[in-house]
Amino acid sequence: MTLTQCPVDQTLTLLCDAMEANRLQHPRSRRLAGQLITMIEDVASGRAGAAHLPTVQRLADELAAFQADAAGMALGAEVRLALAANQEVFASHIETQNCAAGACDRLAPSPCQMACPAGIDIPTYVALIAEGRDAEAIETIRRDNPFPWVCGLVCTRPCEFMCVRGRIDQPVSIKTLKAFAAERALSLGHYVNPAQAPPKNRKVCVIGAGPGGMSAAYYLALNGYTVRVIEALPMAGGMMMVGIPRYRLPREVIDREVAMIEALGVEFRFNTCLGKDVGFAQLRAEGFEAFFLAIGAHASFKLNIPGENDYPQVIQAIDFLKRVALGDRHLPGQQVIIIGGGNVAIDAARTCLRLGCASVTMAYRRTLSEMPADVEEIEQAEEEGVQFAFLTVPVAVEGRDGHVTGLRCLKARMVAQAGSKRMAPVPIEGSEFVIRADAVISAIGQRIEKQTLAELKDLSWTRRDTIQVHTATMATDLPGVFAAGDAVTGPATVVEAIGGGKRAAAAIDRYLNGLPQPGMPPVPVRHHRAAWTEVPATTKMALKRQPMPLLNMDRRRTTFQQVELGLSENMVREEARRCLRCDICRRCGRCVEVCRDKMKVDALRLGYLDFDAPGPTDFRWTQEHCIACGACAANCPNDAMQTEDRKGERIIHLCGTVLSRQPLRYCDGCGEAIGTDRYIEFVRRRTHRIAPVLDGRIYCDQCARRKAVLDAHDVHSVD
Amino acid sequence: MALRKGQKVEVFRRSGDESWEPYMDKFIGRHGIITDPDTSINDPESLVEVSLDGMGTHRLPQDCLRVLDA
Repeated sequence: MTLTQCPVDQTLTLLCDAMEANRLQHPRSRRLAGQLITMIEDVASGRAGAAHLPTVQRLADELAAFQADAAGMALGAEVRLALAANQEVFASHIETQNCAAGACDRLAPSPCQMACPAGIDIPTYVALIAEGRDAEAIETIRRDNPFPWVCGLVCTRPCEFMCVRGRIDQPVSIKTLKAFAAERALSLGHYVNPAQAPPKNRKVCVIGAGPGGMSAAYYLALNGYTVRVIEALPMAGGMMMVGIPRYRLPREVIDREVAMIEALGVEFRFNTCLGKDVGFAQLRAEGFEAFFLAIGAHASFKLNIPGENDYPQVIQAIDFLKRVALGDRHLPGQQVIIIGGGNVAIDAARTCLRLGCASVTMAYRRTLSEMPADVEEIEQAEEEGVQFAFLTVPVAVEGRDGHVTGLRCLKARMVAQAGSKRMAPVPIEGSEFVIRADAVISAIGQRIEKQTLAELKDLSWTRRDTIQVHTATMATDLPGVFAAGDAVTGPATVVEAIGGGKRAAAAIDRYLNGLPQPGMPPVPVRHHRAAWTEVPATTKMALKRQPMPLLNMDRRRTTFQQVELGLSENMVREEARRCLRCDICRRCGRCVEVCRDKMKVDALRLGYLDFDAPGPTDFRWTQEHCIACGACAANCPNDAMQTEDRKGERIIHLCGTVLSRQPLRYCDGCGEAIGTDRYIEFVRRRTHRIAPVLDGRIYCDQCARRKAVLDAHDVHSVD
Repeated sequence: MALRKGQKVEVFRRSGDESWEPYMDKFIGRHGIITDPDTSINDPESLVEVSLDGMGTHRLPQDCLRVLDA
């Protein structure tokens, strides 16, 4: 299907081409064109608001009237013409978030990319890794996430939950691929920063050197801003550094990626507390025009049970992890109880084991299936010897002479809540028991230390005690003050903080340039369509998710060495080849419908195309049943299904997965390729009553017609 | 925590929660998958991270979500 050109897409291409070809020489015309691109990208991706079109018009007028750059004037005039001629189409993109021509829709991202809070172009980098182009893969990732190696080790990988391959067998191991590519690119010296924009001589201050703060700093610095990062801790990394243990995320990984940000000229001021060592008034006086708050959630919720505040051996998990990360390797006790079921609780438990605690028990009030911690983390903790006490509700910390002696608990049972199928734990009366312990670590959640921002009296807070922002821009109610990360979401994930930081950086840029802000958060945008890798259907089905090799158990129990050892190069390339390239195949199902309902062949077993009710999938089925008619390819709106005649064969492939490969037959008359045996038989079955007998020969339509005419008149060709 | 990672959900109505913003009205009727069920353990009203088909990943209040595969 040929798509009609979309004027919005055409205008965007016009501007991008002009910028890429360096046709605009004057800095002002380049700035105006850059701003036009930002505005029209919003229009093309359905994010624009009412102010966008007038702004595009104003910028185009300004560019067209700027006489110092003739090329800029011509470009501005072209944009004005496009606007005047297609006003309704531009308005329709804004009002309906729909591109009628379908042209803008071609850039619609895959489910994995949509699931990524940072919006990384996952299919593109996975395709590049499959081809061994690791440095290019890292370049692609860093357009949306400046921490590919960190995320390759600790991301909660929401992308894998949406991975379409998971509807066939198991999701592609996207996280692991990213870690491999980052490590390889760094090792070979191919991990480099992209080119920076010229300095704007405008200053932005970032408060907090965690993933959110440093991501904002990275994108602002790339955009030419002068960025200073203020951090209370003596090192960069925030929760990545002091909340995630070293056996999951080695310090060197953080340091190397932070160094890349520092190389862009970002200034870090460590051991500097906002409100104590420096204040907003002082920073404003220094010339900072915008602020980004990424202070994280470093305080803990209290258990609120008797005895909690009476013993020094009752500690908060986040404080404990921080102390260990900063070098204090003393064990909290011999028999430790961790209260909670999240990733922080698991991290605290596994850290205790490594410090030498004799027994570590996790007390969780629900069951294993409700634990919010990552499944693999739970498994690894269990393997290492962490014990679990499920359906256990702590009611008091017991102790004697200033020392903890145990945790008094009640057993619980899961009961459906009134009017709902949802189950909640309810303590069982009279089921009290005591777990012996000499230390209790509480890991029931973190909160934000509000007093850090006491100076900002007009800052709005939510009822959850998080900073109130407009999530499309991460802007607070205070002009020029933006916020993201755990301080906004509550304790969440590294990748979510990175996404928030990137969004805030874009919003700060607009704020400082007086441009209108988008009405909704950005929908991730693909940057280009990477070529696919050809894989036979049998291989595509046979390749299974690669298991992660782990450090031996003795070292896991005794050292902080990295537990996940990473995949070998061969495993990585094979894993990457499992990707279905959902950025190209949009799973519309037209190929299946045409094959089954129109052609009545039913050669496509692609049950994974259905999001809500996936059916069986077998790419190998096609080889046995396909007639290679090409109807599926002809009806594919996105060129995902293709037919190709190559070396005497007709090949049908879906995003590089070779579904059918059959020998071609050629016309006995003219020698033209006329299809496969199955196709010819398919046609014969339907035309045998009207077709003349052709002496067992095979002819193309044209030659058959010619022969029929000659036979009818009993004329013999002279040749 | 009432929802679990990997559960299929539908945004079936507007939420009265303060975190609901006008652009979220476009999400009503969309299906998605829970990617992070809880920001604060033991908070039954915590915002959950949902990856919505065709709309990206967002934090939404729980009262606007309906589990599809329960």
